[in-house]
Amino acid sequence: MAAACGRALLRGARPALPARWFSSSTCRRSSDGGTAKFQPPPKPVIIDRQKQREDRRFLSPEFIPPRGRTDPLKFYMERKDMIQRRKVFNIPEFYVGSILAVTTADPYADGKTNRFVGICIQRGGRGLGATFVLRNVIEDQGIEICYELYSPRIQEITVLKLEKRLDDNLMYLRDALPEYSTFDVNMKPVPHLDHEEIPVNKLQVRMKPKPWSKRWERPKYNIKGIKFELPEKKMKEAEKWKQPWLEFDMLREYDTSKIEEKIWKEVSEELNK
Amino acid sequence: MYNSSRQGGDPSRPPALLYGAFQLLAAAHRPLQTPAVPHGTPLSSRRNVLSAPHGTVPRRTGRRSASAGGGGMAGWGLLARLGARLRAAAAPGRPLRAATSGHSWQLGFAARPVHDATWWHEHLSEENVQFLKKATAEEYRAQTASKLCPLKDEPWPLNEWKPGSVRVGVVAVKLGMMPIWTKSGKKHAVTLLKVQDCHVLKYVSKEDSGGKTAKLLVGGKNASPFFKSEAEMEIFREAGVPRKQKVTTFNVTDDAIIKPGTPLYAAHFRPGQFVDVTAKTIGKGFQGVMKRWGFKGQPASHGQTKTHRRPGAISTNKVSRVFPGKKMPGKMGNIYRTSCGLKVWRINTKHDIIYVHGSVPGHTNCLVKVRDTKLRSHKDCNKNPPFPTFFADGDEKLPEDLYDEDMFQFTDPSVTYA
Repeated sequence: MAAACGRALLRGARPALPARWFSSSTCRRSSDGGTAKFQPPPKPVIIDRQKQREDRRFLSPEFIPPRGRTDPLKFYMERKDMIQRRKVFNIPEFYVGSILAVTTADPYADGKTNRFVGICIQRGGRGLGATFVLRNVIEDQGIEICYELYSPRIQEITVLKLEKRLDDNLMYLRDALPEYSTFDVNMKPVPHLDHEEIPVNKLQVRMKPKPWSKRWERPKYNIKGIKFELPEKKMKEAEKWKQPWLEFDMLREYDTSKIEEKIWKEVSEELNK
Repeated sequence: MYNSSRQGGDPSRPPALLYGAFQLLAAAHRPLQTPAVPHGTPLSSRRNVLSAPHGTVPRRTGRRSASAGGGGMAGWGLLARLGARLRAAAAPGRPLRAATSGHSWQLGFAARPVHDATWWHEHLSEENVQFLKKATAEEYRAQTASKLCPLKDEPWPLNEWKPGSVRVGVVAVKLGMMPIWTKSGKKHAVTLLKVQDCHVLKYVSKEDSGGKTAKLLVGGKNASPFFKSEAEMEIFREAGVPRKQKVTTFNVTDDAIIKPGTPLYAAHFRPGQFVDVTAKTIGKGFQGVMKRWGFKGQPASHGQTKTHRRPGAISTNKVSRVFPGKKMPGKMGNIYRTSCGLKVWRINTKHDIIYVHGSVPGHTNCLVKVRDTKLRSHKDCNKNPPFPTFFADGDEKLPEDLYDEDMFQFTDPSVTYA
């Protein structure tokens, strides 16, 4: 952070020399020939890392309450408990597609802890019951473990690689070639700077031959991250199940922007106390 | 047009049954005539006189019931009595009741319909309505504030808890459900019950109630007083408390009686004790036998003709009848049910929320009745509760959250197995 600040200062603290001392008009005349307009030097681009970090606010999806007739007091009580847990135990920011390492307490394991590394394929649930599913292929066996974010048995969550993918749900990795789900258990964490945007991995995954567990080519799954090598006929047939009216269905709209703002303010205030 | 005796009526006119109804309604809306009946005439002849002269009032085909023949507004009482007498004569088994008021439903037949029901602000101006609403809100606030210090308001004598005492329960609102974890890392689901505006409303002694114990009426969650009659509002007025949405009775021993008007809080219960929660289950409407009683139904294929979810046989041939109480389709849900022996994990005194183990009947935001368990297996866990109730202005100052000893609190570090 100090380095970032230093960089900002360096760029901003240019000596405020009046440009006329180094008037370029005298120099220009010789090169151009005609009377050229005075070009002021380009403005310094000040990249405020602090502001970038603040602008890039991330509210974990389990804080956003689902639509319903529940009393907001119930969500408030749950949020208090969630914030309390976050104060004691650090739950880092991660997305579907990031690679995590999770250590849990296990009474039946050696050393009483159990470490699992995998790619996050799904984040589900709201409130204290929020879960995330990690997938990895260990010794040619695909393994998925669903962890509860707020369970007291989790002792550590480390983000080895923070990135996003083209989809919100990577369940199709079950039907993709195993190489796309294998991650080294001892991989080193990839450093990520606080203020940078989250990189989006535009990887298009190749699939095993059909049948798949779900018909991923159908428009209801809206998957962008698969390189469909199916014949054109099958792709056209899948379009039959398209429901273009859903996009305009007003009853399905759930605008969470205002709720998110309020909750973000509340959560960040409590966490910074 | 009124001659109902027609042969081969033309298709434009409605059939006779409906036509009769039309006539009746038409008659009801026309001014009626008082019959000139001398007082001493016997009933049989009165029946004939009741029907007005031909041509003025329509006659119905079919039975000669006491239709809207005669009687003006002045003769309502007479007509009512006549009507009652006629019906008694027709069906002698029925008791003869003096119809004193002129309501159309008491006459027993549709005469002129009387619309006397109004809503509370039908005849009030807009300003008056707004004023009344504001005034009620202020009154509610004043009433709640006046009841905040029950111990200073000459409470009834406070007794000590004995093993045989039964104390009052509480009315709460079901907020929703949440997971909790124990110190060993095991996950359980709990229901949040919020004790909202709970007050004791009335004390009914053992002799008055006619039961084995004294009763205490308790109400929860304030509601609008406007759509209730004066008789219903009487209890709330006497207790000095706003109108409550749910009023329940608790059978209570004599040493646990509380003065009406005392507020009840969530701290009435303590973590580690067990409670019974009663509420109306979610109504499912008219349901078939498979959903309502869990019958297996019939296979989907292999020759079943139109029989997949039916009950099948309902009795045997020898019995030659159906037993009363046979499980059949019908309205399911919306009945009171109790979940017994639920552990209280946590009490939040600031928002008055009880965290109760497992699930509770009823939908979200429904009102439930919470009381100490009657189960004998949990008799030992409910020792020395706040008796007769928890008084907020007493000496005891409770922390904001009370947890059960087994429960994992989020202020602790993560669970480890040594």
